[in-house]
Amino acid sequence: MSSLDNILDIQDLKTYFFTEAGVVKAVDGVSIQVQRGGTHGLVGESGSGKSVTALSTLRIVPRPGRIVGGKITFDNIDVLSLEEKEVRKLRGKRMAIVFQDPMSSLNPLYTIEHQLTEVIRLHKGLDKAVARDEARKILELVGIPEAEKRLDAYPFELSGGMKQRIAIARALSCEPSLLFADEPTTNLDVTIQAQVLELMKTLKKDFGMTLVVITHDMGIIAEMTQRVTVLYAGQVYETANTWDLFNGPKHPYTEALLKAVPRLDKKKVLVSVPGNIPNLIEPPSGCRFHPRCPYAIEVCKEKVPVLEAVTPDHSVACHRWKELQLKGSL
Amino acid sequence: MGFAIVIAFFIFAFVLPVLASIRLPDGSHLISLYPARSFEALYQGQEGQPPSWQHPFGTELAGIDVFSDSVWGARNDLYVGIAATLLATVIGIAVGAVAGYSKGIISASLLGIIQVFFVIPVLLLILLFARVYSVLVFAGFGLTLIVLILGFFGWSGIAFVVRGEIFRVKELEFIQAEKALGASNFRILFRHIVPNILTPVIVIASLSVAGNILTEVVISFLGFGDPNTATWGLLIQEGSTYVSTYWWVSFFPGLLVVLIVLGFNLLGDGLSDALNPRLRE
Repeated sequence: MSSLDNILDIQDLKTYFFTEAGVVKAVDGVSIQVQRGGTHGLVGESGSGKSVTALSTLRIVPRPGRIVGGKITFDNIDVLSLEEKEVRKLRGKRMAIVFQDPMSSLNPLYTIEHQLTEVIRLHKGLDKAVARDEARKILELVGIPEAEKRLDAYPFELSGGMKQRIAIARALSCEPSLLFADEPTTNLDVTIQAQVLELMKTLKKDFGMTLVVITHDMGIIAEMTQRVTVLYAGQVYETANTWDLFNGPKHPYTEALLKAVPRLDKKKVLVSVPGNIPNLIEPPSGCRFHPRCPYAIEVCKEKVPVLEAVTPDHSVACHRWKELQLKGSL
Repeated sequence: MGFAIVIAFFIFAFVLPVLASIRLPDGSHLISLYPARSFEALYQGQEGQPPSWQHPFGTELAGIDVFSDSVWGARNDLYVGIAATLLATVIGIAVGAVAGYSKGIISASLLGIIQVFFVIPVLLLILLFARVYSVLVFAGFGLTLIVLILGFFGWSGIAFVVRGEIFRVKELEFIQAEKALGASNFRILFRHIVPNILTPVIVIASLSVAGNILTEVVISFLGFGDPNTATWGLLIQEGSTYVSTYWWVSFFPGLLVVLIVLGFNLLGDGLSDALNPRLRE
């Protein structure tokens, strides 16, 4: 596929955190291509670098983190070479992010109206009354009843699901072409989760935007995305169309993740991926997954695997992908 | 309770003079206040009188009505306490906020500056300035001089607290969310972070009003104040030389100092409880 189809092209991104204990290589050479208009999933355990990749794209990596290398092209703009002032114009307006915890992603001191109109006025330069009207419309869009009344509410007066809808509304208020959803449903209960996911699907269609869903929940990946990238210890281990990934995973880590999904149709004990995510200050040699991999051989400890194309749409970083017969979950 | 005491002092300082200016139909005054620093009682042969209905706090040997001067003194002391605190709070928030939010060399050097100001003995500085600029002091700018010095040298405590609080608040998710929406650093810092850290600042400010009033009293008591401006410290100092016989000259202003310091301290405690959401039922 041509690169014109990609709204976001991340090449060899490296974002390190310079802590006192050492340099944490949270993202270490990640390359991801996100197709325009699609929904792309980023999946992996906590600490695999999913969120940091998103934060790097918006250039809001918290200290002591720093982007040390790579190239990010968004809509033909070289994001990493922009002045801070110019990135600020992109943020919120052309790319936005919805965070994990709705409880803390709104400033407790200001009304909903204030928080929504702030963004609208910042980027669109509308006056107060018009901005309030816009804010009300967008609240109705995300399915908040009595939107007019909610505008004057403070965050503590609203439920978690409601707050997450408002966070989504705020991210959408300037109709960005790319939206990151960083575990948007992790802190919500299951019924609300379903509603929020449904909402995001509808909104994506209505706005014609590209969605990048960050999650560790394979269920959400299956439900929402067309393409998916599996991250492990700050590196990409597999990228494929969602169907292909579930059907025929090529990386043992992907297989392990799929195995760990609880299923209603097959009675079995819940499996987890053995071991823990490695220390990112001194990651394991060779393939970073080798200490936890049931198929690991000598070469895995010594040589770093590179991404190889299985098909034009499917790539994997594993020394043994050709010989292994891995089980999907379909 | 602290709030009630502080309000009572405001009434004492600002409502009483208004009441005193009202004339009853028969031409007499509701309450009589002498002008500040006036020796009228001397001409009436009332100098050195113990407390009475006419002179509730008595009069001193030069004929000054202690009650009247206490009222005018309350105004001046509240001015010193509050104005100096406001000045220190504004500087403290600005410096502390930037020190807490910026990074690298700016943050480090601001911290250094805060620490330097933290160890400056403000009282000695004021005494020094009062001597050097005695012309200003006698021209009636003594109080403003004290306010400026207390303000410009007394902000480091607030700056420390602000800096620490900002470390806490700036890591919260809504700050990152603001950044992701394209807000500028200035906007994030002063519209989103600072309002979230005002609680401890308000409490400290309330306590520091009491501290600043005490400092003013000490300065006047040591004789470095303006002898032509009515303050409690001045009254206490004037009475101190003959406290064994004319005790009321020092006693009543002293009592007021104790009460106002108590009042602002209780107010600070009360505010810290009232503003702490964890202590609300």
